[in-house]
Amino acid sequence: MNPQKRSIKVVVAKPGFDGHWRGAMIVSMALRDAGMEVVYMGNQTPAAIVESALQEDVDVIGLSILAAGHMMLISEVLDLLKEKNIRDILLIVGGTIPQEDIPVLESMGVHRVFPPGSKIEDIVDYVEKNGRAVKGRI
Amino acid sequence: MKKCERQEQFLTGSGIPVKEVYTAEDIKDLDLEKEMGLPGEAPYLRGIYPNMYRGRFWTIRQFTGFNTPEETNERFKYEHEAGATGFSIAFDAVTENGLDPDDPGVASDVGMGGVNVCTLRDMEIMFDGLPIDRVSTAVIGSPFSAGVLSAMYFALAESRGIKLKDLDGTTQNDMLLFTACCHLPAIIPPRNLVRLCVDLVEWCAQNTPRWHPVSFASYNYRENGLNAYQELGLLFANAIAYIEEELKRNRLKIDDFAPVLTFHLASHSDFLEEIAKFRAARRMWYKLLKERYGAQNQKSMIFRFHVQTSGSTLTYQQPLNNLIRAAYQVLAAALGGVQSMHATSYDEGICLPTEQGVLLSLRTQQIAQYETGVANVADPLGGSYYLEYLTNEIEKKSWDYLQKVEDNGGLVAALESGWVHRESIKAMGEYQRQIQNGTRKVVGLNCFEMEEEPHRVPVFRPSPETVRLQKAKLEEVRKNRDNQKVGEALRRLRDVTEKGENIMPAVIQAVKAYASLGEICDVWRELYGVWEIPVVAGIAV
Repeated sequence: MNPQKRSIKVVVAKPGFDGHWRGAMIVSMALRDAGMEVVYMGNQTPAAIVESALQEDVDVIGLSILAAGHMMLISEVLDLLKEKNIRDILLIVGGTIPQEDIPVLESMGVHRVFPPGSKIEDIVDYVEKNGRAVKGRI
Repeated sequence: MKKCERQEQFLTGSGIPVKEVYTAEDIKDLDLEKEMGLPGEAPYLRGIYPNMYRGRFWTIRQFTGFNTPEETNERFKYEHEAGATGFSIAFDAVTENGLDPDDPGVASDVGMGGVNVCTLRDMEIMFDGLPIDRVSTAVIGSPFSAGVLSAMYFALAESRGIKLKDLDGTTQNDMLLFTACCHLPAIIPPRNLVRLCVDLVEWCAQNTPRWHPVSFASYNYRENGLNAYQELGLLFANAIAYIEEELKRNRLKIDDFAPVLTFHLASHSDFLEEIAKFRAARRMWYKLLKERYGAQNQKSMIFRFHVQTSGSTLTYQQPLNNLIRAAYQVLAAALGGVQSMHATSYDEGICLPTEQGVLLSLRTQQIAQYETGVANVADPLGGSYYLEYLTNEIEKKSWDYLQKVEDNGGLVAALESGWVHRESIKAMGEYQRQIQNGTRKVVGLNCFEMEEEPHRVPVFRPSPETVRLQKAKLEEVRKNRDNQKVGEALRRLRDVTEKGENIMPAVIQAVKAYASLGEICDVWRELYGVWEIPVVAGIAV
């Protein structure tokens, strides 16, 4: 099968115990409506998220965090991705991430941060353009 | 002749059509005596006291908690000195899940979205030097942790010589909040949760008459995207689930426990619709208790409520605008007859509130109380054609929505089947579409946007040190307590849980022996297993 024909596969998850799921669900629905294959995992440990990305062979991981633990949780996910040698995935983050943390996260390896109020069409557009595997981008 | 208007149709925030003007014709069926009455009189549409805020203002109670109990204690003191008249504890997600800071996988959440509390020691530290004999506290515990956290607060009060029968406050203890609105991955199934929740209600009704053991939190259902009448429909469905659970036990009669039930509503952005909602809620509760449950005691039929201004209406963009949003929402709640209030801070779209954010929230409420004059008269808008029409409409639609929940088997069944989650998902999707297509305007977000952020605001950052501090403290507690006593208390808790007796005496015994929250909740996780939220099982997406 031509890999370009396969739909983009996305895992959306909430690392840790923060219960705010509205943003993650809205983004999951929008990506699904745009024709992508979306697995919404809800709250999971970073290890479980990375494991499922590996098992399901996904193109994109979307993480949503609204309880201020983003720096630690995202570092954990990035470390695990590198440890498992998953380096072609697109990693996007949403949630209440203060402006000044966005460049820090992007320098750590997150590809794009979408804070509250981001336009859904911009998120869909970004994932459509960048979702497919690019070797060595993590 | 058709008049030129700026939009084709006008709708309330919940989609109710709005005409250009309302007259006596729109409320001609309203029975002024039976359906309106006076403040302090049935059906309490106009307020629960005859003179409302002329006697006493609503309580200013800001939802507060971060890092360690030590640091949260400092913030409570700051708020108290600035004129807050009540306390409200925001716990972190670890505490809400009934876990300890040394449990696996929790480190990144300890002290993050709220304060971490795991033993009675933490509760003692958090309220050190605070006058809990005079100032009431809201313990915003999840339905899983609520009984344990309340037991810690009760034990603390007793150790200070306060009689439990005089202790004033509230526990959140809302089953729906943490199973459908905020997801907790380490809690037991709703059908078992409802038993724990109602055990707390039952115990408090008999032992702590001034303590409100549940505050049904439709605030959080609303934050999931539901509208005003869906909010009330689910609110009463949840209250009915608790009432039915207690009545089927044949231990208490409706008037023995209904007076301690309280509510926690949202104040959202449609100013007049929100006022109508608060008024409708009072009349509905009166009818429900009197007509369906045959309550005799007027106190059973009085709808007492807290309001939180809507966090989901805040924007990340142009954050100072959020001050204005909160102020209007505060005013709506005041005009709606609220009993206590949290004004959400302007920076909560970005972070936990800074000290400056909290101070402005307190001042917003104080300005409403002391300067605007709205507190000088009860139900100042009562009799407005539009408001009374809208109150009737909200009430009708809320009864219809409640009926839908009942058609789906009542709240517990509707939760376990995923029906409530699907309703939320539909609603949040629709709300988002309205923002996208511009039919719902949000200033700074889909109109009056700016390329450059005009305001720079300080950001609050929880401390990553918290987990180490909390673990060390827990280890010390475990070393210094009588572990045999803890073991006995936990065995007794397991025993009474299995036998179906009220759990609270055993929970209090365990807490006083300094058993940790995680140790206590493990008893229930072992008995009932952890609930898999239906939405994660793939129903939704």
